[in-house]
Amino acid sequence: MSPQPSHLDSLLPALSEAYGPPGRETGIRAALRRALKGVGATSEDALGNVHLHIPGKGPRLLLTAHMDAPGVIVTRVDPSGLARLSILGQSSAADWIGATVTLNGTARGVVGWDRPRDPKETREIEPEALYLETGLGSRQAPKEITVGTVGALLDRAERLGNLWCGGNLDNRAGCAAILAAVKNARGIRNDLHVVFSAQSDLGARGAATSAFGIEPDVAVVLDVAFVGESKGAGDIALGKGPCLGLKEEGYLPHPAALALVKRAAKAARVPHQWLIRESGGSDARAVRAARSGVPTALVAIPARKTGGPRVFIHASDLEQTVKLLRGVVTTPYTGEKGSR
Amino acid sequence: MNGNRAPRFQEGILEAISNAPGVSGGEEAVRAILADYARERVDSMEVDPMGSLVARIEPARSSRGTGSPRGSRRGRGPHVMLCAHMDEVGLMVTAVEKEGRLKFRRVGGIDPRILPGQPFRIGARGVRGVIGALPPHLVPRADRDKVTLADDLYLDIGASTREEAEERVSVGEYAVFDTTYEAWGTTRKGKAFDDRAGCAVLASLIQRRPPVPVTAVWSVQEEVGLRGAAAAARRVGPDLAIVLEGTASGESPGSPPEEQYPYMGRGPALTVQDRSLMAHARLLDSIQETAKRHRVPTQWKRPGVGGTDAGRIAISGVGVPSAVVSVVCRYIHAPAAYLDVRDAQRTVTLIWRTLESLKKEWP
Repeated sequence: MSPQPSHLDSLLPALSEAYGPPGRETGIRAALRRALKGVGATSEDALGNVHLHIPGKGPRLLLTAHMDAPGVIVTRVDPSGLARLSILGQSSAADWIGATVTLNGTARGVVGWDRPRDPKETREIEPEALYLETGLGSRQAPKEITVGTVGALLDRAERLGNLWCGGNLDNRAGCAAILAAVKNARGIRNDLHVVFSAQSDLGARGAATSAFGIEPDVAVVLDVAFVGESKGAGDIALGKGPCLGLKEEGYLPHPAALALVKRAAKAARVPHQWLIRESGGSDARAVRAARSGVPTALVAIPARKTGGPRVFIHASDLEQTVKLLRGVVTTPYTGEKGSR
Repeated sequence: MNGNRAPRFQEGILEAISNAPGVSGGEEAVRAILADYARERVDSMEVDPMGSLVARIEPARSSRGTGSPRGSRRGRGPHVMLCAHMDEVGLMVTAVEKEGRLKFRRVGGIDPRILPGQPFRIGARGVRGVIGALPPHLVPRADRDKVTLADDLYLDIGASTREEAEERVSVGEYAVFDTTYEAWGTTRKGKAFDDRAGCAVLASLIQRRPPVPVTAVWSVQEEVGLRGAAAAARRVGPDLAIVLEGTASGESPGSPPEEQYPYMGRGPALTVQDRSLMAHARLLDSIQETAKRHRVPTQWKRPGVGGTDAGRIAISGVGVPSAVVSVVCRYIHAPAAYLDVRDAQRTVTLIWRTLESLKKEWP
């Protein structure tokens, strides 16, 4: 039951280049629904989350990954034709310098930065200092680009040796892992709900409403974690397997949900690392707090930042994550009783 | 033709609720005015446990309807929640000092630089007070460019002892800017146009039976964390929501024109995104197309700033498609705001026409 690398090899680049800034996830939503054809019936809700239900007899298991990727929004167009930007979500202004941005059909451009005159200037780079040059010029740009136009990173993941490199791998890697795990999966032992959530980068908004609607018995949230961000249990590294989340802002794992994931990892012989985040977090906090609370675990694929728009992910971590998720959907959840 | 006209903006309501006090958590006076106005015009009304005023009004029985039975979802259009918050920013009295001065805390976002020297009305009885400030004669030269920290400011009601002060004011009472509504030309001046402008627009929209089922929510505690609307949305469970706001004009003399938007007097401002919300794309498109069709001028609100009740409504329950339409006001969160009464009418018209479109377009 090893995952098919050939499938991921075509899936990941395709998902990575789909358009999907937070709140305007049109391209990725279409790409995921296409990829899910034949797996089960999909639907879309008010926030734009993609739902898939594979009915089964066991407990209701929610497997979820956010599909939105970093975005920008135009705040004005200067008389010179440069569009000024504000950032949608949590990415830093520095991450955008040099990035190619698509305004979803309207135009595309490259993000520049008004570099301070004083080379010793070390203040943090503010979004106000970014601009988007579309080449449309001073006449056309103000006509074609309006305030509020949303943009996303235009980037297709590529393979470099054992690594994947791409701009939207957070969290298209997680989406790809779930897709690969549920496609042709046999022996599913739960009533499986899959959600590709919207607006995660704006504060886990899509995950909150999805979890409210589904009322799962147990949930596993899939995201990425960055080298350098885990404290307390040793830093995480590429190539050493998926991370199991132990702590985030607003989130601690439920012992029974964590036990389910650990049991699946052990059975599938998947090595894992620990993730302890002091600041920031994934959709896990919204899912675990939905309704009267949902036993929730977090699985994160290790990633390394470049200081620019792109990140690295190890191909074996992705494959191991698929194996782990296969294990999760085929392991019956036994609740509190089986947790210790 | 007359029956097809959009309702008229009710300026009398704006004047009454602008003058009334209603700091977050103490919205009773504003609510009472709106409840009196709404009672005869809606099918049912309640004050919810948070204090928001929630009124339901059924659509007119349409002669052009599809002939579907009354009560069925199809043909009636979506159930729309229209929401405007009643609360305003202000002060709360936190202590009465020995010398009769009142210490206070700010409630909601007030820039402390605008406070010194301002007159206020305190409590339900409207006791007058001013925030003490030394005249320039007595301010040391070195301190003239400095602003007194909010913690060092106090309210002076002219009492000289604690006992005297406590006869007129008690700890926990709210204070509002002492400003009276005025009109000249198309400009209107008053306090708390954020969001009494939205409240008055909403009141104007329920004069007649709307094209679709509407629940009007005048919410509480928006300025301290969008609280009332979050609770109301769970209770109402609408198909869609449109939040009506009084939003900040960006006009600041000296800045390049492309940086100054939105402008007072240039029509309702539409939100794409703020800190709490990504507006629902299809609902926003529908509002924009309606504006074009009915030649209502619109402009964009500045992305990325502020937050509104819509952010909380959008993520309530399984999620609610939500948008925000605002009357652009100068000088909000300050003693006196301005708005252009034509913008208020355009906002009423735009929302009414949008409800008509939604009846046809929304599944």
